[in-house]
Amino acid sequence: MNERVLLVEDDPSIREITTLGLTNAGFRVTTAPDGREGLIQFRNTPFDLVVLDVMLPALDGYDVCREIRRESRVPIIMLSAKSDTVDVVVGLELGADDYVTKPFEMPELVARARAALRRATAEPEEPHLAHGELEIDPGGFTARRGDRDLDLTATEFKLLLELARRPGQVFTRELLLERVWNYDYLGDSRLVDVAVQRLRGKVEDDPKQPRFIKTVRGVGYRFDAS
Amino acid sequence: MLAAGLSAAALAGSSYLVVREARLSDSVDRSLDQARFNLVLAGETLGTTPTAEEIALLLDAYERRGVFVTVGSTGQREFSSSLSVGARQVPSDLRRLVATGQLSYKRTEVADMRYLVVGGRVPERGTDLYYFFSEERLWDELAQLRNILLIGLLVLVLLAGLVGVLLARRTLVPVARASAAARSLAEGLLETRLPIERTDEFGAWAASFNEMAEALEAKITALSEAQARERRFTADVAHELRTPLTALVAEASMLAEQLERMPAEARRPAELLVADVRRLADLVEDLMEISRLEAGQTRLREEDVDLSSLVGAIVRSRRWDGRVRVDGGEVVLLSDPRRLERIVANLIGNALEHGGRDVAVRVGRDGIGAFVEVTDHGTGIRPEDLPHVFDRFYKTDPARATPGSGLGLAIALENARLLGGDIDVWSEVGTGTRFTLRLPVTKPLQGRGPDVSRHDDDEERQSEGEEP
Repeated sequence: MNERVLLVEDDPSIREITTLGLTNAGFRVTTAPDGREGLIQFRNTPFDLVVLDVMLPALDGYDVCREIRRESRVPIIMLSAKSDTVDVVVGLELGADDYVTKPFEMPELVARARAALRRATAEPEEPHLAHGELEIDPGGFTARRGDRDLDLTATEFKLLLELARRPGQVFTRELLLERVWNYDYLGDSRLVDVAVQRLRGKVEDDPKQPRFIKTVRGVGYRFDAS
Repeated sequence: MLAAGLSAAALAGSSYLVVREARLSDSVDRSLDQARFNLVLAGETLGTTPTAEEIALLLDAYERRGVFVTVGSTGQREFSSSLSVGARQVPSDLRRLVATGQLSYKRTEVADMRYLVVGGRVPERGTDLYYFFSEERLWDELAQLRNILLIGLLVLVLLAGLVGVLLARRTLVPVARASAAARSLAEGLLETRLPIERTDEFGAWAASFNEMAEALEAKITALSEAQARERRFTADVAHELRTPLTALVAEASMLAEQLERMPAEARRPAELLVADVRRLADLVEDLMEISRLEAGQTRLREEDVDLSSLVGAIVRSRRWDGRVRVDGGEVVLLSDPRRLERIVANLIGNALEHGGRDVAVRVGRDGIGAFVEVTDHGTGIRPEDLPHVFDRFYKTDPARATPGSGLGLAIALENARLLGGDIDVWSEVGTGTRFTLRLPVTKPLQGRGPDVSRHDDDEERQSEGEEP
């Protein structure tokens, strides 16, 4: 509780009501009206979550996302205008963990925020996992290959953890959306696909020929202990 | 050209025939006259038994009269004024006629010379005389006439042909060109114009055509631009509405959570506000969707979708579980899950609204493809309304305020078509309504679904799987 949230949104009304809603839900909210200000705020104070509008003046949401990702693994939720287009995928590819389309109902945003924060929580009770040179430490929230820290975002980490907990088990996208992203119904499977893509980019030697995270055609994904 | 040729030929032919007839009969008349005179002379010159001297005298006299060959036979002897023509050359049928005492004639040819032979009997002298009048010149002249006429005919025909071609070139070609231009204009090539090459009626025609084409092009361009502007406006408006709408929706959602805690006077207005904000949000969303569909700016996703689970998820997420029954096994196809969701949610939502209780959804496959059937037991749709249910903003009962935007079914149908499918409707007043969404299944179904997954770069050699 009391996590610090950075809200970057240019419209004053949306900013105000979102702040109110998040505050009511128990978060501590800092706001910024544009991308540049948002980055300044971000570098000033540590935040637990960033809620980022895509269409921003000064510096657009994607650039902010990219910049933040260069320095941090903090969970990022995008506020996007429509889900139909490529916008969402671009944001996800840049490292956002989830997205909410406008207009949104407050409870929905709060649920996404809580889910993102839960992902970012370490689970010390969970056992270490080791598969070959891959080492996953749920308590330390780190994953490494050999001596290299994989530098995964919370979402990527949780995804890897979920898959690696049951090697050989095939997970459908729906299942992963539920387990990792907390979507009850009709989540966007692109969330899973892009996250797997990013994960492969960090974990695998050759993302095009993955050794660990395999695709099962027509079904979903599977972790191979190899 | 044909007409000219034929009439000229007829004219020439008939003239020639007329002249020929005239000349020939003329020749006959003259020859007959000459022959009659000759016979009288013979009667005077010859005795009852003509002697050689009398014959010679006669022939002499004949020579003074004209150029013709005389052949005669007296009974005792035969004579001729020429060495080349003799009694033998007299046609036998002429001989027979002359023997009956008649003055007769016949045309014949001797040694390549054409003669008109006139024969007659000299009364009481026992002599038959035949006069060979040469018609060589006559025939030569006729031949000349004929040739001249033929040449003239040929020339005429050629001239007529030339004139015809020229005329055609002048009239038919511009006409053909104008027709082609009209056709190309009708097909949408608004820039079509005719070249103005002449100052006559055709030139004027081309100028008028161009004027018309110009006006048409301008009008149609103006209309398309107006339409495009309108579309952009609708899209822009919907887009601009997003921002205040986002604030409203967020605010309304927070109010909705607080309804119980509100003082009584505030609660009802707040409830209504929340509902109306939702309605507005749906309307704007639908407007944006419809304008996007119209502009063709839609992107289709392709994923393996299990219709049954999709329907189930829709029902659960909207908490319709109690009122909607879902039947049907796994039906997997390649489609766009978000659009499918919109369509099915709309159909079920409508059914619940108009039917109230017991909406039945059946998912399955038949010979045509996959289908999702939504049946309600509501009041049904009147036959006169049935063809219009998919129209935009169509209200079956204008007085009744429906929660929907009026665009739901129109959007659903557009989306269905975009996915390669269709929606049909059956209804009976008092019984209920059934909407059936049909979708094409392009890949053969297997237990798990189609082999190809669109998201994967790599390929698995063997497919494994158990669900956890």
